[in-house]
Amino acid sequence: MKRQARSRILLTIICFIFGAMLGFSYQHASKEASRRGWKDGEWSKEYEYRSALLSLQKENRSLKQQLVQKQEELAAWEKKLSKKQESEAGLAEEAKQLRMYIGKARVKGKGVAVTLSDSSYIPSEASATDYIVHEQHVWSVVHELFISGAEAVAINGQRISHRSYIVCNGPVIEVDGTPHAAPFVISAIGNPDVLASALGLPGGVVDQLVEDHVDVKVEKQEAIVLDPIFAPKP
Amino acid sequence: MWLPLLGLLLGFAIGVLAGWEVPDAYSSYLSIAILAAFDTLIGGWRAHLQQTYDEMVFITGFFFNIVLAATLTFLGVHLGVDLYLAAVFAFGVRLFQNMAIIRRLWLAEWAKRRQNREKS
Repeated sequence: MKRQARSRILLTIICFIFGAMLGFSYQHASKEASRRGWKDGEWSKEYEYRSALLSLQKENRSLKQQLVQKQEELAAWEKKLSKKQESEAGLAEEAKQLRMYIGKARVKGKGVAVTLSDSSYIPSEASATDYIVHEQHVWSVVHELFISGAEAVAINGQRISHRSYIVCNGPVIEVDGTPHAAPFVISAIGNPDVLASALGLPGGVVDQLVEDHVDVKVEKQEAIVLDPIFAPKP
Repeated sequence: MWLPLLGLLLGFAIGVLAGWEVPDAYSSYLSIAILAAFDTLIGGWRAHLQQTYDEMVFITGFFFNIVLAATLTFLGVHLGVDLYLAAVFAFGVRLFQNMAIIRRLWLAEWAKRRQNREKS
């Protein structure tokens, strides 16, 4: 009996030791598990954050790209716009220029004034027609002026356009239906030296006019103002 | 009969509640020691059932197995060879064998009882 009790006590001690070991191990394992679990959570959280960050960065990148694209577009638009404005400004300038050329605008500039007057000396009544200014004289002067580079020409202040006509109408010359009598002042805007020397060419227009007994006076003028052509008179 | 069980529970409670921390480096020693102790306990149970139980063998086996397993693990750690696997394997195999023997003994006893009941 005594022996059995002793063995029982020994067994109890051994069981106690085993139980203690089990307890330690259990505690350790549970702690480890909880730690690992926490770590797992942290990992997943970290992964989550990282993926969120990545997606944000991705979005940022795409947005930046979009921004760059938009800026490029904007620049292109601005360029286009400025070009358009430029071309419009050019157009306006050109329109102004063209209006000046066709006589729709008042022009002012250096030039020459050619005065054609009937001859002051008429030897006989019968040949009087040989001593007055005819429309072909005016024509020739006008043509010569245009050929020499005149930019605007007017007869007695009336602008000549590309559709103008000059006809003889008895005692007067009609320019676009408006009668003009001698003396005729033909004003031309252009380089005065060129125009004057072109007219005064030997054997040129002035010589011919003089031969036709027309009094010719060529003046260089610093400022000639020509009014625009008005609507043709009915 | 109840005393050893009580001792087991008490030990477990103390182990859990004492709050002693087993360092991570020694956790493998603890686990192998537990395995050795468990094996010895099961072996003792089997010996008891087979009426070959010897107290001296049991107690010396208990402590010696624990120390041996720990030593093997220690050697393995320091030699870079996983020697604790040998202990785990040996104890594991013996554990299962002992369990199987216990189960057979139980079965035999159960069959004998049923035969007796049928006879009577």
